[in-house]
Amino acid sequence: MFSNHVNKNLSAYYHDELSPEDARRVTEHLLHCRRCRKEYEEIKLGVRLASQLLPDAAPAALWADLESKLDQAQVRSGGIVIESDWKRLLFSRLSFKIAACLILIMIGIGIFLAYSRRSSNTNTPKQGDDANGPGWAVRRIAGQPRIGERRVGETGKMAMGEWLTTDDSSRAQISVGEIGEVKVEPNSRIRIIKAHEDEHRLALARGKMLAFIWAPPGQFYVDTPSAVAVDLGCSYTLEVNDDGQGLLRVTLGWVAFESGGRESFVPADAECVTRPGLGPGTPYFSDASAEFQSSLARFDTARDGDAARADALDAVLARSRKRDALTLWHLFARTNETERGRIYDQLSKLIPPPKKVTRDGIIRGDRIMLDGWWDKLGLGNTDWWRMWKGPLPSQAK
Amino acid sequence: MERRAAMSERVSEGRLIKACREGDREAFRQLFESYNDRVWSIALHFTGDEAAARDITQQVFLKLFTSIGQFRHEASFTTWLYRLVVNSCLDEQRRRRRFVSFDFFRSGEREEDLSEEAHREINAMGRDGSHDWRHPEQRSAPEDRYSQLERSAKVKAAVRELKPKLRMAILLKYFEGLSYEEMAQVLGCSMGTIASRLNRGHQELARKLAHLDL
Repeated sequence: MFSNHVNKNLSAYYHDELSPEDARRVTEHLLHCRRCRKEYEEIKLGVRLASQLLPDAAPAALWADLESKLDQAQVRSGGIVIESDWKRLLFSRLSFKIAACLILIMIGIGIFLAYSRRSSNTNTPKQGDDANGPGWAVRRIAGQPRIGERRVGETGKMAMGEWLTTDDSSRAQISVGEIGEVKVEPNSRIRIIKAHEDEHRLALARGKMLAFIWAPPGQFYVDTPSAVAVDLGCSYTLEVNDDGQGLLRVTLGWVAFESGGRESFVPADAECVTRPGLGPGTPYFSDASAEFQSSLARFDTARDGDAARADALDAVLARSRKRDALTLWHLFARTNETERGRIYDQLSKLIPPPKKVTRDGIIRGDRIMLDGWWDKLGLGNTDWWRMWKGPLPSQAK
Repeated sequence: MERRAAMSERVSEGRLIKACREGDREAFRQLFESYNDRVWSIALHFTGDEAAARDITQQVFLKLFTSIGQFRHEASFTTWLYRLVVNSCLDEQRRRRRFVSFDFFRSGEREEDLSEEAHREINAMGRDGSHDWRHPEQRSAPEDRYSQLERSAKVKAAVRELKPKLRMAILLKYFEGLSYEEMAQVLGCSMGTIASRLNRGHQELARKLAHLDL
């Protein structure tokens, strides 16, 4: 076992976690191997450093905070159920059922389309798996779209990394593996970045595309110069101009727009702009007033501390409707403490926060309170988001 | 003698858990007092963010109290508790990906802030004798204590820069003193994986902090 180097076992050796036989072999190896001895010195230094870690005392107020939560609790045999969470649990379960139904319907449509496509054209090789390597089928809708230098006839194939280009009179449709379709509008440039069973990724350099995806969420991505659109089960359009600025409009379901860790969750009938260097802006409903939208754009592009930013926030708050809670809630993650206080005041007029949500908590960015308030906005609850966004957190048994 | 003490500790923990199942608030408080510093320390040094650590600690104890009826003694209580802590930390990490702009809530981690952090801690120790729960070897002359806290702050900052899986392994080993087997149970992986994570964690710490005089 240890005729070769023993570097992988050195921490276990130090911590006396090896069997006596293995420990003896490590000892013998270290006697003869300068390289492993050197690594062992490094491990020992790492252990000495890690041993310097001192635990911290928890804040004294933690029990009081916890107790106030327990005060709202109802003692039952075998544990406690938090009364105020019942509605949320019920809603959450209902949402999960609805979500599960929607996913099943979309997957069913996908399977049906995939089967009907295969049976209608049995001579067509499986997409992304033919003799020319991975790629997706392309269908010409109008004009003369090109893949690289080749003109697309009625149908064609787009290989990994190849650019599909449309001029001002051409349009095309890409079959995204077997999970959806993307229509490419005139004056666009788009290519496949990844064609994997679990991850289908396009890059839209400029132009406009319409996506309709029936796969489970989180399998389809579109890179733009300033953000990535993550499909969360939906239909949407995405435009990118020559400056790299993008506009996402969602028509069904949800899309997350993200860059550098900043995210916007955009529901149906809402939009979000993304700008180079700034990433995704604050989402807003398409029917918000022009003044609201322009003020939001000024806020999103102003520098922190600028007077223009404060003015823009004033205008956004003054013109916000109940439906604009989506925007105001997202602003909490994009503002300083003073600004969050003002947003709290306006949002609480539009949609009063739940009992447990306090102004101070929102100002300091308490995640539970932020989630709690989101759940009252009528846009689904945060559990719903988490289910869309990734696998459910594993539960401790 | 030591074995008897451990057994008596387990018996009293068993009583405490039984009382918690029956909804005894005082038992909850005692269980909280026994473990809150440990949960807090892992949460704080996993996230590097006091607000997030507060959320995690509260979530862990709420989950603990709401699901203690399901605890069947198949694993040890601490293994069960640390699984809750690890899951809550990972949940927080996922949430943080959504809310990176909340990073300004992070406590300062810059090198120049570390002495200040150590200074604050040593002041707190001076005011509050209850901090003497620290290991006797750690109770030493103020200047030694100061440099020890300063080193600890530097190590904590370096630990926060480790990849999450390595960071959690280091925290469970050095804050909680878990064995490889216990860590494997808590993290749901093999002992070989634990050994490998600790190896990488130690090496990264050594490379980052080789200049510290130990």
